Amino acid sequence: MEVKRSSKTKTAVSAIIPFVLLAVMIGYVFGPGSELISFGVVIPEISIEKVEFVDSEIIATVRNTGPIAVDIVMADIDDMILPAAIEPDKHLERFESAIVRIPFEWNEGQPYAIGLTIDDGTRFEKQVDVAAPSIQPTIEMISYFAVIGTYVGIIPVMIGLLWFPFISKLSRSKYKFFLALTVGLLLFLGISSAEEAIETSAENLSDVFNGVLLVATVAIVSFLALNYLGEKLKKRAGASKLAGPVAIALMIAIGIGLHNFGEGLAIGAAIVLGEAALGAFLIVGFALHNTTEGFAIAAPMARTKLMIGRLAALGMIAGVPAIFGTWVGGFVYSPLTAVIFLAIGTGAIFQVIVLIMRWIQNEEGKLSNSSVLAGIAVGMLIMYITSILV
Amino acid sequence: MFIVIATVSLGFVGYLVFPTMDITAQEQPEVFVTHSGAVVQTTGDVLDPVYTIQEVEFDPQKYLRDFDYGKVSKLEDGTTLREFTIIAEDDKIMEIAPGIFYNVWTFNGSVPGPTIRATEGDLVRIYFINNGDKEHTIHFHGNHPAEMDGIFEIVGSGGGQFTYEFIAGPVGVHPYHCHVMPVEEHIGHGLYGVFIVDPKEGRQQADEMVMVLNGFDTDFDGENNLYAANTIPFYYQHHPIQINMNELIRVYVVNMVGLDPINNFHLHGTLYHYYPTGTDLVPSYFTDMVTFSQSERGILEFEYEYTGKYMFHAHLTEFSDKGWTGLFYVKDSSQLNTEVYNFGS
Repeated sequence: MEVKRSSKTKTAVSAIIPFVLLAVMIGYVFGPGSELISFGVVIPEISIEKVEFVDSEIIATVRNTGPIAVDIVMADIDDMILPAAIEPDKHLERFESAIVRIPFEWNEGQPYAIGLTIDDGTRFEKQVDVAAPSIQPTIEMISYFAVIGTYVGIIPVMIGLLWFPFISKLSRSKYKFFLALTVGLLLFLGISSAEEAIETSAENLSDVFNGVLLVATVAIVSFLALNYLGEKLKKRAGASKLAGPVAIALMIAIGIGLHNFGEGLAIGAAIVLGEAALGAFLIVGFALHNTTEGFAIAAPMARTKLMIGRLAALGMIAGVPAIFGTWVGGFVYSPLTAVIFLAIGTGAIFQVIVLIMRWIQNEEGKLSNSSVLAGIAVGMLIMYITSILV
Repeated sequence: MFIVIATVSLGFVGYLVFPTMDITAQEQPEVFVTHSGAVVQTTGDVLDPVYTIQEVEFDPQKYLRDFDYGKVSKLEDGTTLREFTIIAEDDKIMEIAPGIFYNVWTFNGSVPGPTIRATEGDLVRIYFINNGDKEHTIHFHGNHPAEMDGIFEIVGSGGGQFTYEFIAGPVGVHPYHCHVMPVEEHIGHGLYGVFIVDPKEGRQQADEMVMVLNGFDTDFDGENNLYAANTIPFYYQHHPIQINMNELIRVYVVNMVGLDPINNFHLHGTLYHYYPTGTDLVPSYFTDMVTFSQSERGILEFEYEYTGKYMFHAHLTEFSDKGWTGLFYVKDSSQLNTEVYNFGS
């Protein structure tokens, strides 16, 4: 007993020693009195992450994304220096953010450049293409977004589920084709989610967040976590032959749900930004697009008995997040949140792809089957063609 | 171990995602006034160089009427000798607008440098000391021998010296500035000032003041971030220049704005007689709007018939929006001067 404990302590100590040495070295190199690294110029940086237009006021959310603390000292609209206020205060530590309120009689539909100047005189700017009143989370707006989310998320998925009887009547090879088609659909969705995440991070997120690496890290963590969850789910479902397909369908629904959350974000943000035309296109495009998602959920279940309740529940899991997405995108949009959710969705979708591929392999033995390959290709083509509408 | 790391990283991510949920102690709300006169309250800090009275180290109110006539003595032949000492520095960090700190290069510690004043025919002697880290000179506009021009006689850093000596002339208002290459940079950082040469017979008694129109490109993007009359943006907006009704006002205006090809001066509520470069004693125009190219200057003379607050500003709105704007507060001197004014009421 005694021996065991001391060996445990030894293990712990041996794990900690490198950390201690590292800390000592860092302290020596960077610590007070150190002259070793005193060259170079530190360049402060801030990012204007969000601009809202409210009654007689423009509100900018700013974050210190540089290596040192800064003071925000001046605000301007289109180079016109204006009286403004910053809350909670003008001093921003690293990563700290604040809200700058600039009273201004802005005109709807007009572009504006919002500028903030820091204590060393450097001015940072955010260009807003179209000024539109920021949407307040009133009951009407919440329900309006819920309706849009329903049209985009729930209804198309449910319509897609109606392919269930069709798929269940298919021959074995044709069924395989449609299962592979699902893989194609998801592959496309996964890539588009990743693209969207990287694009959002490039446009709205400061370099300090390492956009692409953030997306990759979150996506892979999400992939691994869902993989683990999926395995657990399968184990709990036990050897029951029925449970396997349902578990896969559930995983697909979760993955698609996360993806639809991202779509909701895009729609909500577009409406808030006053891009009504874009919003309308997104709604039509995503609705068409999402019908195929219902298909993806229905496909793995097609060999089991029709369980309308379960199918509907899965449809809800996949569709309802679109509503949450429109709320988040519309009311509390933050690029960082958006990127993280989109990356989670990416990981989830790729996890689902692996799941289905493994399932096809288990059922059919091999993947390089012509109907499987054709299914994937056709799936991607369908998605590409419907995506042009967005 | 893993749990600790997970918790810490989750907390960090949470902080990044929802940073504005910080709960700060409720403080006394501050108040500021907008262009349209609305009063806005905030629990945070006010960022307002435009209307909120703020003091910085440099005092444009003092600079306005501060004339340096030098150390005066008479030579044997009766000529007046005026001696000045001007020290250049280039390591000073000055607050050039509330909260904005910029590396200014200075003559005698300020931007603009001292306003040097002499009478036509005086002998002007300037002891120049360069305490900066870079080479500097003083180049005076006006009449002088080539070797006094401050172009080829580069004065070395760290205490280099040179004595400029010339007969003051011609009559008028002239700039002086460093002429070391790149001149744009040396002027942009603040190495300039005003040199006034008075006519021997003098000018009519007036309330005299100097306005150097200048700008600063604080982020070096080739575009000025701030403009002003006498360095500090909006300063005379919240510290109006007090003048008397029916008293002659004479303003020596020198445009030292770099990067932009032109500047101008617009006055409200009255018109002024304009003397380009101040070299002629007869005004060229009677107007409320003159245009200056780089280093162009002149003298404005005017009187106000009515009391009240009158703007003066660049009629290039970009310049006035970035600080080149101010107010004259015209008082009736025949009435008791209460020294109280209520700006913005």
